[in-house]
Amino acid sequence: MKGYRKYFLNKMLWFVVTLVAAFILNFILPRLMPGDPVAAIVSRLAQGMSNSTGVQAIYEQYTELFGTNKPMLEQFFIYMKNVVRGDFGFSFSQYPRPVSEVIKASIWWTIALQFPAIIVGWIIGNSLGALAAYLKGGFDKVLMPVSIFVSNLPAFGMAVILLVIFAVNLKWFPTSGGYGFDLIPNMSWKFLWSVIVHYQLPFWSIVAITIGGQAIGMRSMAIYELNADYVKYSRFMGIKDRKIIGYVFRNAMLPQVTGLALSIGTMVGGALVAEIIFSYPGLGTTLLSGVMGQDYPLISAATLIITAMVLIANFLIEILYGFIDPRIKAAQSD
Amino acid sequence: MPKAMLEVKELTTKYITRFREDVYAVDHVSLKVDEGRSLGIAGESGCGKSTLALSLMGYYFPPLYYTSGDIVIGGRTISGMNPDDVRKSILGNEIAYIPQAAMNALNPTRKIINFIEDVVQAHDLYITKKDIYDRARKLFETLGLPEDVLQKYPVELSGGMKQRTVIAVSVLLLPKVLIADEPSSALDVTSQKMVIKMLRQLMEIGYISSMIFITHELPLLYNVTDDIMVMYAGQIVEKATSHEAVFDPLHPYSKGLMGSIIVPEKGLRDVKLTAIPGVPPNLKNPPAGCRFAERCKFVRPECSMHSIPLQEVSGGRTYRCVLSETELREAYAREAHEHAK
Amino acid sequence: MKHTIQQIFQSGKFVFGFSIFATILLIVIIYPLVITDAPLAIIGQGTFFPPGIYVNVYDSMDSTPYILNLDDAVAKRIAGKLGDQERLDIKDWLVAAGIPENEIDTSNTEQLLEQWVNNYDPQKKVAGMTFARQRYYQRLDASLDGLLSIEGVTVAQKSLETGLLEEIDAVGQSDYVNISEVTNKRVLLLGTDNFGRDMLTELVSATATSLKIGFVAGIIATLIGLTLGLLGGYIGGTVDDVIMFVTNLFIVIPSFVLLILISYSIGQEQRGPITVAAVIGFTSWVWTAKAVRSQVVSLRNRDHVNLSKLSGHSIVHIIISDILPYIASYVVMALILQISSGILAEAGLSILGLGPKTTDVPTLGLMMNWAMIYQAHILGRWWAYLPVLITIALITFSMNLMNTGLDQVFNPALRD
Repeated sequence: MKGYRKYFLNKMLWFVVTLVAAFILNFILPRLMPGDPVAAIVSRLAQGMSNSTGVQAIYEQYTELFGTNKPMLEQFFIYMKNVVRGDFGFSFSQYPRPVSEVIKASIWWTIALQFPAIIVGWIIGNSLGALAAYLKGGFDKVLMPVSIFVSNLPAFGMAVILLVIFAVNLKWFPTSGGYGFDLIPNMSWKFLWSVIVHYQLPFWSIVAITIGGQAIGMRSMAIYELNADYVKYSRFMGIKDRKIIGYVFRNAMLPQVTGLALSIGTMVGGALVAEIIFSYPGLGTTLLSGVMGQDYPLISAATLIITAMVLIANFLIEILYGFIDPRIKAAQSD
Repeated sequence: MPKAMLEVKELTTKYITRFREDVYAVDHVSLKVDEGRSLGIAGESGCGKSTLALSLMGYYFPPLYYTSGDIVIGGRTISGMNPDDVRKSILGNEIAYIPQAAMNALNPTRKIINFIEDVVQAHDLYITKKDIYDRARKLFETLGLPEDVLQKYPVELSGGMKQRTVIAVSVLLLPKVLIADEPSSALDVTSQKMVIKMLRQLMEIGYISSMIFITHELPLLYNVTDDIMVMYAGQIVEKATSHEAVFDPLHPYSKGLMGSIIVPEKGLRDVKLTAIPGVPPNLKNPPAGCRFAERCKFVRPECSMHSIPLQEVSGGRTYRCVLSETELREAYAREAHEHAK
Repeated sequence: MKHTIQQIFQSGKFVFGFSIFATILLIVIIYPLVITDAPLAIIGQGTFFPPGIYVNVYDSMDSTPYILNLDDAVAKRIAGKLGDQERLDIKDWLVAAGIPENEIDTSNTEQLLEQWVNNYDPQKKVAGMTFARQRYYQRLDASLDGLLSIEGVTVAQKSLETGLLEEIDAVGQSDYVNISEVTNKRVLLLGTDNFGRDMLTELVSATATSLKIGFVAGIIATLIGLTLGLLGGYIGGTVDDVIMFVTNLFIVIPSFVLLILISYSIGQEQRGPITVAAVIGFTSWVWTAKAVRSQVVSLRNRDHVNLSKLSGHSIVHIIISDILPYIASYVVMALILQISSGILAEAGLSILGLGPKTTDVPTLGLMMNWAMIYQAHILGRWWAYLPVLITIALITFSMNLMNTGLDQVFNPALRD
């Protein structure tokens, strides 16, 4: 374990740095836009209100809430303090519900959906790609075009297709929601079953898209590795094919894991849009309703949380990589 | 009568290209290496020497295919054998191969000792891991490699170190024949020397019974091998002892090779540099007669008429030319005389 | 250079992808010249008209009627109103009303109808029948009225003088009009969307806009990526460290989050298509920068570059004449990738509601958005979203194909 310390520290430092940078960006970007954000929001909200005193009162209330009447730096610290406490302010569109509550309600749906879906998709996709590289022939010729087609579909495209085929036409699955309309969340079997049923389509859309993307990459990596010098040498030393395949896939997998870490941001983005298609009660739909309701605090908090999730995932994958690539440990121990 | 470790008779192997054409990279090659002897194979790029090395192993990967001929290792004919048997009982423990640029021959994510364990276990030898480790350690020690290399990953070793490690691993199972394919070409001069020293040491100690050393540097072989074979366009054009091949080449191509290299050896310092004009023929459609004919200074009409057999000269020396030994020597003497003017 | 272009056009994949893309481009350019209707003009009153040829009924009455006696016309008419399901339902009702089952023959239309007419009583309470079902049978009865008659219909118009209905025309059951003689008709190949707009025209216009956005975003992203990659890769040192740091930062922080934040903050009024394109461009340059940089780093120490350095050429000169030509192939491929991902990014943004202004021009993403919001996919109105999806897929597919083809030309190792 000792050998890993430097590596861990390195990754941890990077994680903190990126988190801070993301935080700053999340805070600054909207406020950099010309104009007073509060005024813009209030003006949109207050459309139709003729009572100017009323509008003024709302404006002052929100300014107080936001702290836009204070200098930027002070705003930043207030914001930071609040975030650490978990206070993201009140949601505009669902007033008086606090933003943190809205997000808390939806974040678990998203994590429960995307986290397993991306992992499952990654595993299946890489296995298929590796098989295609090894078996060649018919399997490869079928897999390639299918993967190319799937990987060219945007995430929401796959979601729509699955929705239409399985939910609308075949009516095997429900078209939207995380659970039946008539059910209140509780721990009964009926509810859990409803959740599972509603889970299927969004889950498999994300899995399918991930498979498409991974299979092609892994196939190329595996082909490259299969032609590597050490494969030939190992063969010439009499080592059996099965063992060599083990070598090849382990080596081909390493860059795939790195690739996952780098592309997790985009994957999550696509998955969020898929959630929207299914009106799945996760962060995607929350974001959408935030946008449609001009709910600035909700949007700001949602994007921050999403970024944090992605950064954490990235960090975890990098740590995992340190364990599976034996060279990392070796490089540290000298 | 010295035992023949490796005997090859009329071996022919071909490549099948993407366009389904046959390229006979190794064309009716015969050779013999006795116990305790080493044979060098020299030739320019593309002459087929690497293909020959691969062909000798008895195991063929597409696009390389076996056509005809015999390969006998230590009295055992392997040319007709079932590929699985070849992998299990021949590759690695009867005949071993050190690839070119052996630096890349090691799996980057496997420790050296683990790779050695894999090699041993692939041959169904029931040795415990501890025994494997001891054996490896002893071998490494003998060859001057530090013991801690065993616990390292390839990325932690220098280029020269990797090359020597590969050599050590190749001889671990005490093969009868070791084929070294340009083992020193990718290294700096000091490492080159260490590699060659190591190979000779292996022969002396007896870890290997015979060796084939492939290179494009003909004079290098003088210090390494007992005999030398010169290859051109898929065929053997001369075979002689090292001394004969370097100082007294018969075939015009060998002569040309020696003449186009700067060699600070005694006796060769006065030789002037000349290049051999032209390029080797395309092996898809090799010319009918002598393959060197179009570049040869002493070409005659009968050279291109029919294929030319190997002629034997006293002492087991052979060469492939229509001209007799005497004619060739006269021609060379005349040439040297003209240059001196 | 010429040789490279020759090679490119010999690559099957590239040519295939290129032809798809070129076809799309051609359609996008030529269609508006031929059909000059405004893409966002609302022509349908109502939502989601299905695809087909729409013939003005009013004008068809003025057209010359032709009498055609077709054998199956009557059967078809009946089958339209009395399908298999309806026949079974009638049988069910009759059985429940007490008619013995073996007297009912669903294939004998006349007899079935006679039994129905004789026995159906809307007031009759059949055991176990829900209210909705009762209403269903009432509607069925109304639609069957006069099914077997061979009379035509009379057209009456309110007289301007008397205010009473006067018969002006009669339409017989065998009267046909020739479509080309009808004054007003409209072909709607893809029907209308939820607002009542001609989908096909809208789609073409949306494709054009999306492509424009893609191009602009792609060019901006590639330029930024190229510049940063060149600077970082060639100059090295602290400049490189800084650029590397920023690049790595933006790789991990998901670009769509930045996209959302910026788009939202700009506000809908400001979000014209070009603005959106610019925003996309400014947030997606990361991969190009990284790729260019690693190429430049490997080129930096090549002999020809060192030669130029020794000859005293300026940095700019070296970059332009020694390094650029070698990375040109990567840049072209990166550009194609950026364009296609720009189009996808816009689509994603629009689905979130953060795309370009909805009142100006349609984009592919916006069309998807509208279809989703108005539940086209659930209602089964496939023409509102499927063509859009297919177009998006075709565009990205053709671009990726071109890219793969180019890749194989520039990297012979990848040729299979």
